[in-house]
Amino acid sequence: MSDKRTITLTVNGTTREADVEPRRLLSDVLREDLGLTGTHVGCEHGVCGACTVLIDDKPARACLTYAVQMEGHEITTIEAVGEETLSPLQQALHEEHGLQCGFCTPGIVMTFEAFLREMPDPSEAQVRDVLSGNLCRCTGYQNIVVAVLKAAAVMREKRP
Amino acid sequence: MTARSQFNYIGKPLARKEDRRLVTGHGRYLDDIVVPGALHACFVRSPHAHAKILGISVEAAHEVPGVVGVFTGKDLAQWTNRLRQAPRIEGLQPTEIETLPTDKVRFHGDPVAVVVASDRYVAEDAAELVEVDYEMLAPVASLEAALAPGAALVDDALPSNLVSHQSFSAGNVEARRKEAHAVVEATFYQHRQTHVPMETRGCAAVWDQGREHLTFHIGNQVPHPLRSALAGRLGLSESQVTVISPDVGGGFGQKIALYREELTVAALARHLKQPLRWREDRSENLMAASHARENLCHTRTSVAADGRILGIELEIFEDFGAYCFYPANYMSRVVAMILTGPYRIADYTFEVKVALTNKCGNGPMRAPMAITSWVMDGTIDAIARQLELDPLKVRRVNMLRTADLPYRMATGETLEDITPAETLESAVASIGYDAFHERQRALREEGRYIGLGLCTVVESTTYGSAFYKTTGIAGSGHEAAWVRIEPSGVINASVGLGGSGQGYETALSQTVAEGLGVDPSMVRILTGNTDVAPYGMGSRGARGGTAGGGALYLCAQKAAEQVLRIAAHRLGLNSAQELRLLDGQVERRINNEWTGTGLFLTDIARTAYLDPTNLPEGVAPGLDFSLTYDPPPMTYSNSTHACEVEVDTRTGRLTILRYVVSEDCGTVINPIVVRGQQQGAIAMGLSGSLFEQVVYDENGQNLSATFADYLVATACELPEVEILHNHTPNKRTPAGIKGMAEGGVMGAIGAVSNAVNDALAPFGVAATHQPLSPQYLRSLLRGRADRNRQEGQD
Ligand code: FES
Ligand code: FES
Repeated sequence: MSDKRTITLTVNGTTREADVEPRRLLSDVLREDLGLTGTHVGCEHGVCGACTVLIDDKPARACLTYAVQMEGHEITTIEAVGEETLSPLQQALHEEHGLQCGFCTPGIVMTFEAFLREMPDPSEAQVRDVLSGNLCRCTGYQNIVVAVLKAAAVMREKRP
Repeated sequence: MTARSQFNYIGKPLARKEDRRLVTGHGRYLDDIVVPGALHACFVRSPHAHAKILGISVEAAHEVPGVVGVFTGKDLAQWTNRLRQAPRIEGLQPTEIETLPTDKVRFHGDPVAVVVASDRYVAEDAAELVEVDYEMLAPVASLEAALAPGAALVDDALPSNLVSHQSFSAGNVEARRKEAHAVVEATFYQHRQTHVPMETRGCAAVWDQGREHLTFHIGNQVPHPLRSALAGRLGLSESQVTVISPDVGGGFGQKIALYREELTVAALARHLKQPLRWREDRSENLMAASHARENLCHTRTSVAADGRILGIELEIFEDFGAYCFYPANYMSRVVAMILTGPYRIADYTFEVKVALTNKCGNGPMRAPMAITSWVMDGTIDAIARQLELDPLKVRRVNMLRTADLPYRMATGETLEDITPAETLESAVASIGYDAFHERQRALREEGRYIGLGLCTVVESTTYGSAFYKTTGIAGSGHEAAWVRIEPSGVINASVGLGGSGQGYETALSQTVAEGLGVDPSMVRILTGNTDVAPYGMGSRGARGGTAGGGALYLCAQKAAEQVLRIAAHRLGLNSAQELRLLDGQVERRINNEWTGTGLFLTDIARTAYLDPTNLPEGVAPGLDFSLTYDPPPMTYSNSTHACEVEVDTRTGRLTILRYVVSEDCGTVINPIVVRGQQQGAIAMGLSGSLFEQVVYDENGQNLSATFADYLVATACELPEVEILHNHTPNKRTPAGIKGMAEGGVMGAIGAVSNAVNDALAPFGVAATHQPLSPQYLRSLLRGRADRNRQEGQD
């Protein structure tokens, strides 16, 4: 079964190598081979959004992506967000109690880091629409929506 | 009314301490823990609901490179003990469960064998090559099938599938029926659901052959009872097992029992002398982790002309699935015990029947008694419909008032310090009950159907040991805590709870801060490691606040006493009576004014640890305290939910327009955390009522094992919840804490159903089932339409 090949991935701006089978999922390579366990796996069938990472700055499901497909692409994971200080979105999730168990949170952060860059002034309906791609079992979403809108406002103010 | 003012740290809206690591991806959930050299387990699961195991051939799987071993129930039977469930409860059949089945499988997804390999992918490949020779047996795929005469036996050791049967009677319901103005019958069917924590189950077992010690990593709500179960089933002592439960990605009741997969992994790590791990995939979680609910209730209520309830008879059937991980009477029995909730009803009988079927075994899920308030308040609505009374008036005429309290329910349970009449009035005022009905009439003329549903909840929380004793269930309701002031004056504290997102690190630090008199930032809460935490009963039944927070608060008070004794000695005072600790400073009351003494907790700590010869006589060195606390038999919170919906009668689509809840959950430790729990519980109730459903076909095949089939509500379907506060402390608990977080589920289920029935009233139909899917609502409306057509033809 094991026909491994060496692949080179650019993750969070760093070049990393891994020996993987072609069928190995990006989520598993990130978590197990590269030790970046912030990307969570909640369903492995593309519905829950917990595994969301950015591929070339666009949100994507790491559980539906093979790592070998990723050569030549830039991958960004939760570990690259808010390393020193929390990002406005992370800060707002904290302030508005937008998380409980936190398992869904990295996927939500990655989804909206990308979204708020493209859509700096979203409506609540737009936020809910995008958020419907991420399942959260704990919060009922209400505080997450408030946090995203708050983060958008903070980011708009900070823009030059 | 709020009790907040009397506290310095309890009641403050502190943002959560645990968030930083979680929002940056540095949480440590089970699967993030690296165990060097760990092998991976993958379970082979039954494709049939009910079948004899004739043989299992493992050779092909064995040959896959990387496979270390393939094991079956026969292997596990040598290394583990069976689970026996036999509390002495009248009408409850004792049951036994093998670690993995050796004779027959009992549901679609039952684990029959396990493959251990170097890698999860390889283990999954090899699991496909394990061949099991089955002889099909008749599947028992529904309650009716289970209880039908001559039904196939799910558990061959039992005389029938009726695994538990209890009845109860208080007063004289027959006499009440005779004198009644009317007798109202109502039916409620709550469908099968499952917990869906976003983190699925899993575990990692490390056996240390030299020390003969098992370290078991797992996300679990009850670390100590789990350790006891694990040790017992493996034939080890509790001192040979450490359970470590770090961040947990949601539990909701699913992460309480010791499951067969987890026991298997532990046993194999010991047998193979190699670390072994397992992570369930989502399909396994939906199919085989644990299911919940699925009960059918009938009420028959005798009423006076004004809607006053004279007597009520309840019949509950529960489909418990194939295996009893819990005593089978457990969930439905509580529903029956607290059914009458906020209403004054003395004449009451119940009958509870629980049956085994060929489905995944049931367990408690956030609000195991979820159906209670729907049944009770749905019955009130049925009374109002039949007698053509205003449902709010029927509620008012029956509801307990402050003057009635403490109130001994017909079942013997005592209600005190609750405020159902107040929450009802504040919820109906806020939602604008009268104005709503004007709008409803106007919209009906336009062919639009809105409805308003009310549901008042009396939520049982924090089951104390006395409750277990009276219900015959083995176990304790106590909790244990320790508080340690370290030499530098910082505080470590622990309790036997197992958090799964409730914000314990923050809220519990506030209870310690309150008891001791320091800022919560000085307190660190350490839970989820059985070597560190004291033996407590863990997190379940909304007991974290009252039992856990209460134990820590009392323990911190004990610590404060000692600190102040030392302080008095240092200040040259005879007694500590006029001293207190606030924000870490010792203060002294002089002429009714508190003033700082310049002596701080850090000074006392240094003395206690490093200068013990300066301690007062009889005071031992160090500042290390522990305590156990057994809460009252039961504490009760209450709330009223009011929900406004619109039903599109062409499509059956249901939209929630407004949602108001007025809640009294006693002293609030942290309002942010409590609000989050309220929102989350209501969301779970609505999601369950509207979308979620475990579906089995008539052969017992599970048709809902992916998130494409088992629908969980997303951000687009859930409403904004408006919360009204109405907090009265419980006089019998530390700091007046009551417990909460399950009532939201109870109220949501009832309020949304009652709202739908209000909306559909002009059509003369009422929903008796959940989920309230478009298909179901359309079928109700169509049934009516068909009847109309028939009547028209006659
Ligand atoms: S784990 Fe990828 S979408 Fe659920
Ligand atoms: S916070 Fe637990 S799943 Fe979202």
